[in-house]
Amino acid sequence: MSSGIVAMMLGASLFLGGIALVAFLWGLRSGQFDDEEKFLNAVKFDNEDDLQSAVEAQKKKEELLMKKRAKKEQYKPE
Amino acid sequence: MSDKEKVACDHCHLEFSKDVMIKDGEHYFCCNGCQGVYHLLSDEGLDSFYEKTKGVKLSPPTKQYEDSKNFDSPAFYDKFVKTDENGFSRVALVIEGIHCSACVWLNEKALQKMDGVIEANINYTNNKAIVVWDDDIVKLSQIVDMIRAIGYNAFPYDPSIQESRANKERKDYYLRMAVAIFATMNVMWVAVAQYAGYFTGIKQDMKTILNIAEWVLATPVLFYSGWIFFRGAYYGIKTKTVNMDILVATGATLTYIYSIYITLTESGEAYFDSVSMIITFVLIGKFLEVLSKKSVADALDIMGKDIPNEVQVLREGKIVPVKLADVQVGDVIVVTSGQKVLFDGEIIKGEGCFDESSLTGESEPICKQEGDNVISGTLSIDADVQVRATKDFEHSTLAHLTNLLEESLSKKPRIQQMANKLSEYFSITILTLSAVTFLAWLWLGHDFERSFMVAISVIVIACPCALALATPVATLVGLGIAARRGILFKEAAQLETMAKADTLLLDKTGTLTLGKPEVVQEKKYKEYDKNVLASLTKLSNHPVSKGVFNYLDLDDFHEVCFDSFKQHPAMGIEAYVGKRRYLGGNAKLLKYFGIDVAYESDRTLFFFAVDDEVVAVFELEDPLKPDAKQSIEAIKKRGIEPVILTGDHKNIALKVANELGIRRVYYELTPEHKAAFVEDMHKQNHIVVMVGDGINDILALSQADIGIVMGSGSDIAIEVGDVVLLDDRLTSLVESFQIAATSYRLIKENLALSLVYNAITIPLAMAGYVIPLVAAISMSLSSLLVVGNSIRIKFTWRRG
Repeated sequence: MSSGIVAMMLGASLFLGGIALVAFLWGLRSGQFDDEEKFLNAVKFDNEDDLQSAVEAQKKKEELLMKKRAKKEQYKPE
Repeated sequence: MSDKEKVACDHCHLEFSKDVMIKDGEHYFCCNGCQGVYHLLSDEGLDSFYEKTKGVKLSPPTKQYEDSKNFDSPAFYDKFVKTDENGFSRVALVIEGIHCSACVWLNEKALQKMDGVIEANINYTNNKAIVVWDDDIVKLSQIVDMIRAIGYNAFPYDPSIQESRANKERKDYYLRMAVAIFATMNVMWVAVAQYAGYFTGIKQDMKTILNIAEWVLATPVLFYSGWIFFRGAYYGIKTKTVNMDILVATGATLTYIYSIYITLTESGEAYFDSVSMIITFVLIGKFLEVLSKKSVADALDIMGKDIPNEVQVLREGKIVPVKLADVQVGDVIVVTSGQKVLFDGEIIKGEGCFDESSLTGESEPICKQEGDNVISGTLSIDADVQVRATKDFEHSTLAHLTNLLEESLSKKPRIQQMANKLSEYFSITILTLSAVTFLAWLWLGHDFERSFMVAISVIVIACPCALALATPVATLVGLGIAARRGILFKEAAQLETMAKADTLLLDKTGTLTLGKPEVVQEKKYKEYDKNVLASLTKLSNHPVSKGVFNYLDLDDFHEVCFDSFKQHPAMGIEAYVGKRRYLGGNAKLLKYFGIDVAYESDRTLFFFAVDDEVVAVFELEDPLKPDAKQSIEAIKKRGIEPVILTGDHKNIALKVANELGIRRVYYELTPEHKAAFVEDMHKQNHIVVMVGDGINDILALSQADIGIVMGSGSDIAIEVGDVVLLDDRLTSLVESFQIAATSYRLIKENLALSLVYNAITIPLAMAGYVIPLVAAISMSLSSLLVVGNSIRIKFTWRRG
């Protein structure tokens, strides 16, 4: 086996492993594993409605944030 | 279909017979509350909640809530509501009534549906919720109303900064460990190829590729995961102490630099695997320590939890709410039944009974009238009084107690851990030896590279892995054994402290005794109807009444309906059936009604009189816990001196001490006395374990080296305590001493093991006989040895 192939294989597998690691770190950081009960139960409550309401909640948050920002701009003293 | 048939309520799923249920179309409800919630959920489109509960029984919603408008008061916002960087409000709530994951789902969804609510996140495990909302659109009171409307209740709490900081630290460790473990595992695979190549021959270009792969993997381990050690080393240097972090940081960095040099020059062996292994192992050891640390601030939180921000003050004939800090000496404060007294003062109007257990530990209510002093921190049981404040809040007994607690928590002695002491010497020795080795090899005429490698092998082989794991693994095993027996140690380090303790202070009521008086003797003067007496005693919640009721233990008990009855606080009960008067209570009650009693006893007495004639006398005693005597003996055998500290009277204290064979007894003590006693013991260089259960013990508990609390004790005591005995038994106390001693022995064994290992290998390394490969292998071996030894204890514990 040439050393080039070994290098490629090493690189590819480390890259794939790295993606998994980053995904795990992201989950950890965003608090998805903070509450293990809820984490496990989330599987049960994972239908389209729940997905829909999660999206709506996200939208609502952004909207409110925009409004708040807009207001702040207005109040800004010259 | 008969009406007696049982049906389940469509909301709470509790079953009742059909005739008492509210029929609503096809649905049945047990109460209006359930009906209301059911319709609300249907209207809101949240009725899939019932699919999710799958018949879990809920508690029906209750209606006894204080006005939710309180939640909008500025004082409340001041205390609990924080504004985040986007200008949104944020509050932490404890949700009451959560039974299942569907409840969590429902609360989250209901809140998220509200206008202006941005985030609602509920933790299933502790029922704590974080709610974020825009205060311009919706008010907190509306949010709380929503939670109540769907059948739950919410209380705010102050998420102590400490708590979240501890969580943050933990999360930080998780992240660093995830990276370290991932990288180390992969480095190991590459290292397998390296070692195989080392023995069977490998081409240099292949070796370089493997080295580079290891280099890539070891870098984040050293600089991200190992950052903690660099930070620790920095602080160590700043405070001029050599700690383990310095050893780990220098060892790993030197090896790393050396390995890079090897990789680039394509000569010799690189040791990136050692770098990542050292960091990973020691990081895990450190994490285990962090995991078992408790935060001190929680206790103060609980203390402040039920202190409101405002009191009702009478000003110019009107009752107005005034902030605590604004109340002045001389203000008249209105205290109603069930409220906590927040100011020391004198009663100027009204009378009633107070629960002073927070100060004395005894649950007997104390009755007061005009002219008597009330003390802050006590609880009004049935008193509606006006109190003229004699001190402002800052100087009140309650504030004083809180301050004392704060002080004693921060003053808590920390016995320096053996492993910490040891690792300091160890680190200095290794670093010196390594430097000496390097210089000696140079001086003996070897080239720089060879000398450097030998010096590094000294550090690598002295790898602190085993040493770093010795204590955490041993204590973790100890904690595990203890937890399975219902003994919760809040911090691992306490095992060592407890093993060194030589004095045991015991509270009496609730610790040595059951805290529930029992009838030990009955003297009957005349036959009487036991049903009447049982019904009479059932009217009162006083422990003595309960004791008599339990003693009667009637199989065919049917409650007698009294035409009228009256409670005489601290005396007893008066009740009538027709013209017939029944009296049940102590001698004072009988005297009050002009009945003469000539019955003498050391014990608590309960008289029962029918139409002013005493028909029976019961003698009650707070019995010792059944395992008290044998436990005290076992503790004495361990060379620990037991001492009783009680707020109770001399006679009772001495009697208990005699029965248990305890020579030192101190009685009629206030909480401050108890704490002062602990301090005295400290001055005499004793290591003190204090066992208690009540609020009156918390000062002493927090000041003792180890505070042990009974699981049935008050919340605040459990927060302050270091060890909680869940089953309240004194045999658990003995066991906790045993477990502490065993774990301590284990720590010593482990440390000895790792030191012996080092004593053998370090001279070899200095002489240049150990190549880093062998060092790396033996490093894992020594760690395994230590872990193995610790696990052994799990199987041999029974004998210990």
